[in-house]
Amino acid sequence: MDRKFFEKLQQIYPSDRLLSRDVELLPYESDALTAFQTKPGAVVLPTVDDEIIQTVRLCHEHGVPFVARGSGTSLSGGSLPIQDGLVIGLNRMNRIKKIDPEQRLAVVEPGVINLKITEAVQRYGLYYAPDPSSQSICTIGGNIAFNSGGAHCLKYGMTSNHILAMKVVLADGTVTEFGSESIEGIGIGPDLIGLFVGSEGLFGVVLEATVRLMPTPERYRTVMAAYDNLGKAGDAVSMVVASGLLPGAMEIMDKLAMKAAEASVNAGYPQEAEAILIVELEGEDGQVSAEFEQLEQVIQSSGAIEIIIAQTARERAKIWKGRKGAFSAVGRLSPDYVVQDGVVPRSKLGEALTKIGELKQKFGLDVANVFHAGDGNLHPLILYNGAEDGALEKAEALAGEILKLCVSLGGSITGEHGVGMEKRDYMPAMFTELELDVMKDLRLAIDPKEIANRGKMFPGGEAPALKQHGMHPLEKQGVISRE
Amino acid sequence: MSTITVKSVDELRQVVKDSKYLHVFGNGSKTGLKTGLYSEFSDDVQLVQLSGLIGITEYQPEEYTITAQAGTPVKVIQEALAKNGQYLPFDPMLADVSTIGGTVATNLSGSRRFRYGGVRDFILGASVVDGQGRSFRVGGKVVKNSAGFDLTKFLVGSLGLYAIMTEITFKVFPDVPDFTTLKLTFNTLDDLLNAIYFLNQNVFELDALDFEPDGEQWVMWARMTGLADTLSERVERLTNTLKDKTKLQTYDEMRGDNTVWDTHNSLAWADGQTVVKVAIAPKQIPKFDGLLDSAKRWYSVGGNVAWVASDTGDALDTVLTQQNLTGLCVVGDCGKAILGKPIDNPLSDRVKTIFDPEKKLV
Repeated sequence: MDRKFFEKLQQIYPSDRLLSRDVELLPYESDALTAFQTKPGAVVLPTVDDEIIQTVRLCHEHGVPFVARGSGTSLSGGSLPIQDGLVIGLNRMNRIKKIDPEQRLAVVEPGVINLKITEAVQRYGLYYAPDPSSQSICTIGGNIAFNSGGAHCLKYGMTSNHILAMKVVLADGTVTEFGSESIEGIGIGPDLIGLFVGSEGLFGVVLEATVRLMPTPERYRTVMAAYDNLGKAGDAVSMVVASGLLPGAMEIMDKLAMKAAEASVNAGYPQEAEAILIVELEGEDGQVSAEFEQLEQVIQSSGAIEIIIAQTARERAKIWKGRKGAFSAVGRLSPDYVVQDGVVPRSKLGEALTKIGELKQKFGLDVANVFHAGDGNLHPLILYNGAEDGALEKAEALAGEILKLCVSLGGSITGEHGVGMEKRDYMPAMFTELELDVMKDLRLAIDPKEIANRGKMFPGGEAPALKQHGMHPLEKQGVISRE
Repeated sequence: MSTITVKSVDELRQVVKDSKYLHVFGNGSKTGLKTGLYSEFSDDVQLVQLSGLIGITEYQPEEYTITAQAGTPVKVIQEALAKNGQYLPFDPMLADVSTIGGTVATNLSGSRRFRYGGVRDFILGASVVDGQGRSFRVGGKVVKNSAGFDLTKFLVGSLGLYAIMTEITFKVFPDVPDFTTLKLTFNTLDDLLNAIYFLNQNVFELDALDFEPDGEQWVMWARMTGLADTLSERVERLTNTLKDKTKLQTYDEMRGDNTVWDTHNSLAWADGQTVVKVAIAPKQIPKFDGLLDSAKRWYSVGGNVAWVASDTGDALDTVLTQQNLTGLCVVGDCGKAILGKPIDNPLSDRVKTIFDPEKKLV
């Protein structure tokens, strides 16, 4: 790292918030996509937004690339550092600056943990809706950068749909604010919130965000149905949709995923089933109860071999525990796995699963399927043994085939994890050369030196070699999961 | 100024290439936009009408998605969806006379946006022609997608200044056919707003929540949807709770009556005056409302959007500037499209340099 640049950092940060020794940098070498590792030149830990602004301006002046990072739970290598670049660690920017329950909003700094917002507002009967599975540790800044989703996005949308206003520093040091406390957000003029959310850190750094809160649903009704083949579970989803119901979540797990979950948390999944479907309704009591009767009829006629209805909050939690823990549970079946999050049109789910089955045979690897069936968002977990030479590369190659399959079926290479480092080479499968050029030009107009999260999203450029690294420590503990 | 009606994307691209300045519109229903942003258009602006780009190009009810050309009347889309028990949850304003492209470009969601969100929350992708005459797609056609920059959302409210949408894909939802309309009166605006703050922290799922002054009183209009069997019980619970916890004076129920919502959607209540949309937060309303004198107004989306009618918009321009709010002249002639605080921003300026470097789109 350039000495002059480093000396200027020292003028902004005391030594305990400017890390540069090898041992200090180690935790920042990777994110939740542990297969990639790179050593940054230094890490800074700002505590006020002015430090972030000064840092970004300094990086722009010296042409030093930087990555803004929260808890580093990106599954696409989105917060992977840049070789010898700077990491701006935002975890200390973790203040909830305002809670306004009457207008259902909160103003937060980027390092605030997703679930902490809900914890802070639940006494008002409110919650923050987007629920990535890493919500107990991932930060709002990261959620904004990657437009994170979760199991409950069908009805109320992803992160982008829950941000009302933002203050950001663009990569060239320009500080700007947009949006308002109105539910309309921007309201009049182009939707800059929509543009900034999901830009994967390539435009700049979020300094502050106003998030929308929702009333905590009064009632949940959850049903789990088991099927003797995966196709029937998929058909049941179509039947629910056709019935006019709008569930809060619809999730499918195949046999391998169920087996893992069962071994791990004993969720009570029927062992003879080939697939299970979880459908959850949420909302006002009277309405949900009536809708649930309708849902029960649909499920009864869907050819399920067993139907389990959660009668208590504890039973609901048990069903979800198996689902949410499925990913870390797979670690019991295989030394490692890679996961993708491609999207297919809902009506193509069956076709996609059949083709994934064929690819599985072709590559000789096991694939466990867990997916947000309501919005066609697949999460194939490709199991491999990293101790075998070339196994990781083979798993990545299979993952790539699955992404191309999703695009060919009219879908997307990513529903909620983002492109990051991992999927950048598949962008041309989804976008034309012109479309990619437009995005690249826009990036250059905002960040002429390409310093903000350099090397991500766009194909080409140098990438660190893939390394076998095993599961993320928090993943092993079941705190976070790759969905 | 002359007007060209384009019938194809290729034709539109050529017009963009041939024009020095151009202003695009659909059916021309938002008469307030027939001027430039901050002053009248100059004479060398080519007007381009997209009403030739009509038709639903893809609709798969089981996918909850619909794709239509930008000039397609909103009504056509609504009717196709209704046949399958679905609807556009953002509830396009001026639905009887608008095109879908115009609705997106102006970001005009209606009262029912209260339940699930506005235009930005339901748009998935679009085909565009930019200010350089290039044609390309942004976003996707599936309900979930986070690949690449979300240029689709950027187009919402972009007023045709960056790229011209030629085809748009939306997420749609199943509609619940049964609904009821409640008229709830309060003695003061503060009483009514306090009732909204109470509702905001409670479990009642309302489809729409609007309000307006009515003589000395204030009237709150609430729309509730649901399964027929449950509606009466839910309404009773809601009104009992409001009687108990707020200063509700009277209430009246009009089951299945959509008149008040139609009247607002068509802006018929404004009696032909200019109508300006203002994105506002509920807590800004008391001060704002106090400055409006006798102007007719309608607050929508739980007090998050104000619709203000006046003769010219001049007085409102001053009020908005003073309150640091922005208004969009939707109907009538305000002399300029944007009132109050300008919409300029360095981030949108950067997009302009890429999409429309010659600043043709006005």
